Amino acid sequence: MKFWIALRNFASTLFHQPGNDSDLEQELKSHIETRAEELENTGLPRDEAVRRAHIEFGRYERFKEECRQERGGTWFETLRQDLRYGLRMFRRSITFTAVAVFTLSLGIGASTAIFSVVQGVILSPLSYRDPDRLVMVWLRNPKAHYISMSLPDFEEWRRQDAGFQQMSGVRWYHFNLTNPGTPEHVAAYEISAGFFNMLGANLHLGREFLPEEDRPGGARVAIINDHLWKNRFSASPQAIGKAITLDGVDYTIVGVLPANFRFLDDIEVYIPLEQGDPMFNDRRFPGVLCIARLKPGVSISQAQSRISAVQQNLNNQFPDTDHGLSTDVVPLKPLIIGDVKGMLLLIMGAVGIVLLITCANIASLLLARSTMRAQEFALRAALGASNGRLVRQLVTESLLLAMGGGMLGVAVAKLGLHLLLTMGIGNLPRSENIGLNGPVLLFTLIITIIVGILFALGPAFKSLAFNLQSTLKQGSRGNTSAFQYAQKTLVVLQMALTLVLLVSAGLLFRTIHDLQAVNPGFDSESLITFKVGISPAATRTAAAEQAAYHQFMERIRSIAGVQSADITNLVPLSRLNNLAPFWVGSQAATPVAEAPRLLLYWTGPDYLRTMKIPLLQGRFFTPEDNANSAHVIVIDSALAHAYFSNTNPIGQIVNINLWGEAQIIGVAGHIKHSGLGDSAGSNQPQAYAPLQQLPENAARTFYRTLSVVVRSPLKPADIIPAIKAAVYNAGNDQPVYEVRTMQEIVSDSMASQRLPMTLLGAFATLALVLATVGIYGVISYSMAQRVQEIGVRMALGAGKWAIFRMVLVQGLRLALTGIVIGAAVALVFTRAISSFSRLLYGVGTGDPVTFLSVSFVLVSVALLACYIPARRAMQTDPMIALRRE
Amino acid sequence: MTGHVQILPGTLDLLILKSVSLGPLHGYGILLRIEQISGRVLLIEQGALYPALFRLVSQGMLRAKWGTSANNRRAKFYELTPAGHKRLLRDVESWKQRVAAVSSALRAQAGEV
Repeated sequence: MKFWIALRNFASTLFHQPGNDSDLEQELKSHIETRAEELENTGLPRDEAVRRAHIEFGRYERFKEECRQERGGTWFETLRQDLRYGLRMFRRSITFTAVAVFTLSLGIGASTAIFSVVQGVILSPLSYRDPDRLVMVWLRNPKAHYISMSLPDFEEWRRQDAGFQQMSGVRWYHFNLTNPGTPEHVAAYEISAGFFNMLGANLHLGREFLPEEDRPGGARVAIINDHLWKNRFSASPQAIGKAITLDGVDYTIVGVLPANFRFLDDIEVYIPLEQGDPMFNDRRFPGVLCIARLKPGVSISQAQSRISAVQQNLNNQFPDTDHGLSTDVVPLKPLIIGDVKGMLLLIMGAVGIVLLITCANIASLLLARSTMRAQEFALRAALGASNGRLVRQLVTESLLLAMGGGMLGVAVAKLGLHLLLTMGIGNLPRSENIGLNGPVLLFTLIITIIVGILFALGPAFKSLAFNLQSTLKQGSRGNTSAFQYAQKTLVVLQMALTLVLLVSAGLLFRTIHDLQAVNPGFDSESLITFKVGISPAATRTAAAEQAAYHQFMERIRSIAGVQSADITNLVPLSRLNNLAPFWVGSQAATPVAEAPRLLLYWTGPDYLRTMKIPLLQGRFFTPEDNANSAHVIVIDSALAHAYFSNTNPIGQIVNINLWGEAQIIGVAGHIKHSGLGDSAGSNQPQAYAPLQQLPENAARTFYRTLSVVVRSPLKPADIIPAIKAAVYNAGNDQPVYEVRTMQEIVSDSMASQRLPMTLLGAFATLALVLATVGIYGVISYSMAQRVQEIGVRMALGAGKWAIFRMVLVQGLRLALTGIVIGAAVALVFTRAISSFSRLLYGVGTGDPVTFLSVSFVLVSVALLACYIPARRAMQTDPMIALRRE
Repeated sequence: MTGHVQILPGTLDLLILKSVSLGPLHGYGILLRIEQISGRVLLIEQGALYPALFRLVSQGMLRAKWGTSANNRRAKFYELTPAGHKRLLRDVESWKQRVAAVSSALRAQAGEV
């Protein structure tokens, strides 16, 4: 009931505002008039009657104001007053306003930019229909590692109802795209019919694959993405029905995807799953990822148990390939987000700290200002303003300041996002969702309001605690000691938080430094790698492909400046794998699923020399180790240590799955294949086998994914054009792609540390600047308050340098307190972060070198900030100081 | 003004509600009626009436309507709402209780404590 009354009052005020005020006047005036008439009737003269009536009425203005207040809905009116007043105050002290708004905008802007990244990558829902019902069905091998599945198994899963509304398989592949346009190598997905429908993604043009196309021998159809459509078909609607040539075969385009579609990667071409290379349609070859949509009402665990049963049957039916396999059903989102959660949370924490520091800075400024305004508030209170009114004024002013900072902050955030893009944010998964969208702007609004209200609280409490009379008498000195304490606390807080940021940045810096010093096992300098798309004409048989490679390798080797070159299926640190089950000895002693795996490199004879991997024992391959001679293999030191620790491995036999027996002819050094900091991979056995001895059926597929490595002391800009020319001369429809220097690959492998390090470094610098300004402000102000005391000290005999020291000591004490507190917080913070993500390498979370050097930096900065106030203090003339009020 | 007693704070609302309960009145009329029904003993600062009236209106105890007064002036008339009536009864009750308590306290003789 009360609510409706208040609402009605409010509405009536908004709508009848001017009328109400004149009505009020009229009511009160007519009361006085009536009384005056009555008095006149008793015989008093008119003037006397009116005067008497006014006196009897009482303080007219005050009662009128009280009536206005009681009316309710004057909230709106007082807001307007507060706003006008606040703006006037800000215009008067424009420097303060500018500094405060600018600092705030930095803090709010940085937080908004980072939050938009977190929101885009992690928080926002997947852009598919009902994304919570989408799951990924994984297969797990006996060691519980997640693996993809074979096509026959997938088909079996689909045939048996497993509680899924729809299942789709996705397999990665790649093609040489030769028509229309220039030859290029493209990544492709082989997908089941109905895949896009399952996701809930609509095609921009055309249609999905039909079930009759999704079978071996079905019509050759393809769906392309927006990028390819714009590049090669000029975004023409007539693209449907045209053909693209993939690996020499024409595929008819039936559909075009919309511009914002992305599934796991920016894939340009999609073809039906069952039309993939038949060699892989064997139960022994994994590669198919299974994405599914749950039936309504079915939970993940229910689906889990049903698909488990299906797989169990398959395990029993096909013990050779499917023994010991299990399944796991997981929501789709984490798969797409990948591994970046830890790093993003670290950055979010860091920017939160920056925001806190800017708030502390501004709160300090506001406190200083509020002390000067104490007189003003005391006066207003004496004139009748209620406490509530004064607090409301303060809150309005703070919110005004905060809003200014917030709006400028949005502009800062936009700038910040541009900067982040140059730092590689675009490589994060789901980065297409990052932007200043609705939820992000709401976040900005919320923190702006919170910040605004927080700022009002401090000065508000201070103002209300003032004793009215003593304040009016004292002038602007006010309650100095409490104020000083608050300011000092803020500075200590700033120092502590800055230390946390500096330590985090420092730890990451040392990590990258240590990682760069790690020996990867090969010489990464002067190495270039690239891939070549062999012309379709040469890919008919393995022998033809070998010949094609042989041809351009000869040309490459004859280029001046090339020291050595060769081909390999795997480039270290490139995140690709080729794990082959193996057995020591000639028999396959255990089932495939349980056999240990080695990382198998298929290379040419010059590979070891090109990479400068040390040969520890025996020999590497020669051109004589070819298809007609016995299988040979070179193992690495890890394999030798694990399986041949007591014997000489040279001459021993190992059995590689799908290849057969091979004799060990040499031992090479171990390589850091999966990451410079990856200690788990240091026991991963590795081995090298001659490309020439690849079995015929595998050769065709392997040859399509080969990388060429070239060692040359020349600069990449000089050597690469020569390489391209050599390859094109051997066949002008052979694109050279993925050209990278080994240094770039090594550096990219540290990207997950480099981005946070850069950001943290930037934040830490910003924090350092703010903290310096903070200390300077506090010390200056404190010294200004203590001018008399300094005068007394000097008069009593203290020397100039003693005063100078006194100021520095005060600043030092603040800094050290902040450092101690900050160190404690930093220890907890870094430990929390490193438990989240494996970002650190070579340094512990409590690394003393980092902590000490950072503390040293903070102390120096604090001393620097105190220098000017100290000099000013030491130059005080005691005579003038003592005479000061 | 001898013979007049200052009204206690908080009783102004009660007096207003009581006056209005006898019939709708404008501000001046309420003043006259209070003086009348209290036998001219109670004294109010005249202007203080109006903030109290506005407060009672925003609390929903009174309703205000513009009309014409006895001497043909445009005036704002106040009348009691049902909620105001309930409030009046409640306040009268608690007033009686308070008065009874204070009176009995004042009657205490030296020997009774």
